[in-house]
Amino acid sequence: MRAGDELPPLEIAITRTLIVAGALASRDFQDVHHDPELARAKGSPDIFMNILTTNGLVGRYLTDHFGPAAVLRKVAVRLGAPNHPGDTMVLRGRVEEVEGDTAVVRVTGDNGIGRHVTGTVTVTVPGLAPTPAPDPSDGRPGGVG
Amino acid sequence: MSVRTRDSLGGRAAIVGIGATEFSKDSGRSELRLAAESVRAALADAGLTPADVDGLVTFTMDTSPEITVAQACGMGELSFFSRVHYGGGAACATVQQAALAVAAGVAEVVVCYRAFNERSGRRFGSGVRHREPSAEGTALGWTLPFGLLTPASWVAMTAQRYLYAYGLTPEDAFGPVAVTARRHAAANPAAYFHGRPITRADHAASRWIAEPLRLLDCCQETDGGQALVVTSVERARDLRQPPAVVTAAAQGAGRSQEQMTSFYRDDLTGLPEMSVVARQLWRGSGLAPADIDVGILYDHFTPFVLMQLEEFGFCAPGEAPAFVAEDRLPLNTHGGQLGEAYLHGMNGVAEAVRQLRGTSVNQVPGAARTLVTAGTGVPTSGLVLTADGAVEG
Amino acid sequence: MDDEFPTRDEDELHTRLKAYEGRAATVAGVGRDPVNAPMIRHWCEAMGDRNPAYTGPDAIAPPTMLQAWIMGGLSGHGGRARAYGELLALLDEAGCTSVVATDCEQEYLRPLRPGDEVTFDTVIESVSGRKTTKLGTGYFVTTRTDIRVGGASAGTHRFRILKYAPAGHDLKDRDQDRNQDGDRNQDGDRNQDRGRQEAARRPRPVVNRDNAGFWEGVRRHRLLVQRCTACATLRFPWLPGCGTCGSAGWDTVEASGEGTVYSYVVMHHPPFPAFSPPYAIGLIELAEGVRIVSNVVDVPYDKVRIGLPVELEFRAYDDDSVLPVFRPRAGEAAA
Repeated sequence: MRAGDELPPLEIAITRTLIVAGALASRDFQDVHHDPELARAKGSPDIFMNILTTNGLVGRYLTDHFGPAAVLRKVAVRLGAPNHPGDTMVLRGRVEEVEGDTAVVRVTGDNGIGRHVTGTVTVTVPGLAPTPAPDPSDGRPGGVG
Repeated sequence: MSVRTRDSLGGRAAIVGIGATEFSKDSGRSELRLAAESVRAALADAGLTPADVDGLVTFTMDTSPEITVAQACGMGELSFFSRVHYGGGAACATVQQAALAVAAGVAEVVVCYRAFNERSGRRFGSGVRHREPSAEGTALGWTLPFGLLTPASWVAMTAQRYLYAYGLTPEDAFGPVAVTARRHAAANPAAYFHGRPITRADHAASRWIAEPLRLLDCCQETDGGQALVVTSVERARDLRQPPAVVTAAAQGAGRSQEQMTSFYRDDLTGLPEMSVVARQLWRGSGLAPADIDVGILYDHFTPFVLMQLEEFGFCAPGEAPAFVAEDRLPLNTHGGQLGEAYLHGMNGVAEAVRQLRGTSVNQVPGAARTLVTAGTGVPTSGLVLTADGAVEG
Repeated sequence: MDDEFPTRDEDELHTRLKAYEGRAATVAGVGRDPVNAPMIRHWCEAMGDRNPAYTGPDAIAPPTMLQAWIMGGLSGHGGRARAYGELLALLDEAGCTSVVATDCEQEYLRPLRPGDEVTFDTVIESVSGRKTTKLGTGYFVTTRTDIRVGGASAGTHRFRILKYAPAGHDLKDRDQDRNQDGDRNQDGDRNQDRGRQEAARRPRPVVNRDNAGFWEGVRRHRLLVQRCTACATLRFPWLPGCGTCGSAGWDTVEASGEGTVYSYVVMHHPPFPAFSPPYAIGLIELAEGVRIVSNVVDVPYDKVRIGLPVELEFRAYDDDSVLPVFRPRAGEAAA
């Protein structure tokens, strides 16, 4: 794997079930994620996917590709065009940077009305580099004496 | 040492204790607690107690006041407290302040400290959008409306001119510094880059931050604390650790000095303020570049390491990239701020002490004379630290 | 991305909102349930995630579930500090009654496993200036949550919401502006414009008594350089004394506007709302010999080079700001 590599795209059908199941699995009971009437009253044409589900789908996209040994270190997402029922979102990823066995992947998700999500995922894939990399964030004691 | 004549500070004081917290991206605790933890660790390392301390020195940028650290650590009355300005330029100057106080008899045991949540709290790298219309804020503010807003970008302006003057590429000039730091960090369990050496190709492939600087030209923004204990050489000889003698200490500001944006003077290929420091350190220590066993040169960004080597006379102007590539001086053996942690230069002072004690993870055999510098691009400071007896008093 | 959003000094509501920055939103919160296999299974089924790491005796929770463990659920959030409620109430009162999540940044420090009991603290990290989006006008509120298990940090979760008045609804204090000004249409339009431009507003020049003459000159489209009346040395930046001879006396000369690029930087990261990276910033050496930092315009960022001859232009940015910038001199190829 090297910077510039593209991940195969993943198509996700945005069903009403996915939106509602994702919202409830993330314990998000905001009405705009399950009640079309109340969503319309708030200016949205229909219910829309919550950010936790998008986050979960982005995480799944990476671990589907890199396999069960891959460890997610960071996931940062920004939302744009909402995911409404009946749409399809295509997730795409591009490796931005590889340091040791850790890669930074830029992810986008486009639906029928625009770009639903842009994100950056840092993922460690054991065996990617010759030397095992420790978790850079786990604050080992050191530097004393 | 004054700019004009040799001073009488050399050989009077020593660093006898070093202590740090872990270096992390998210400490999960307050900056005060980090300061207190590192101060206690440094005192324990020295075999001293908080009750022995009568002086404290830190940075003006530090958020933990001396009196609050004293309370949190169980210290009593203080007779000396001082702070040094100009960001990381303060690092070595805190030790100079401590040594001055000890040499003059104003205090007996002085602890220097710096602690922050610079990664999980306010990140310097995220840039500046607003300055107060004070004299300082106004001086710093000239570049803001045009989008020159980050430390990396301020360094990049000078770095670009350096490349142009010597006909170098960013890869060839900065790559060796980036690689050397991570090589040393790879062996250091306290370092962010522990176990993760990089290659010149990795450096060249890392993304642009502020051209001509790439991601791997930048230091590791860090949460953590580092403290140093200073006392007289006489008292040091009775303590637990071999003393790291302050053989020379100096501050320096150049003509037409600004903070990070000294763009309006000379040819932008060097660091005139570091030249002021260098002249004083060589004169005060009686040493020359060839005498130095280990160099700990402030490395928040790679280009200024090159300019420091040239200002100190380790090599001729424009030759530092080759000097580093050929490993002609053991440099930043802890991994530097590029590889270990950005602790505003204080972790570099600790590494020089470890080299003199023989306890560095990248120990240089018999290291007896070290050079340490503080923040670059700002008014700055430096130290020559030596093993006891390594330099004629 | 940790960038703040631009602020508008005259926005009183924003000043009140800003006061909540740094205050706790939740103190010593406790997850409603320990990390547990049923919730993990529901999550994986919803996401279509078949990763075997999330099942079996050694299962970990999907890292992206981090926020799910601290959600209040149907019964709402317990343990929220008063400050967060007050902040949301202020926004509600101002007409920003709708909410949408826009950003989520998570860092996972250690895996969560069934049985782990999660505790957390949330602080209000920042409140943006007023922003106009497709949804409507409002304010971004960013919170940061530290999540722990057994006292050890397990992860961090930064979350940004937009609290907004849906498009077509007025913000309350806009009504107040209108009443004070007494000119309904004009002022409404002006506010709309201000809201839009604020999203991309440049940092303000830093002006004090010592350099006000420079910015006054810029306003009148003149680039003024100080000159020492004792030794005639030109100087920039502006200061109340001469760095060469120490004299306090000075007058000004107007720069011809011709210069060359002495050095430059191409900014890529981090992004700032007013600028779209990559963009070039030049250190311009004026024909008079002094240097000034500015933008090099009308030339692609990758065509800027040291030695490029440039000339001065005064360009308006935002609604009220004129800046001296430099474009390639006529007849000079940028490449």
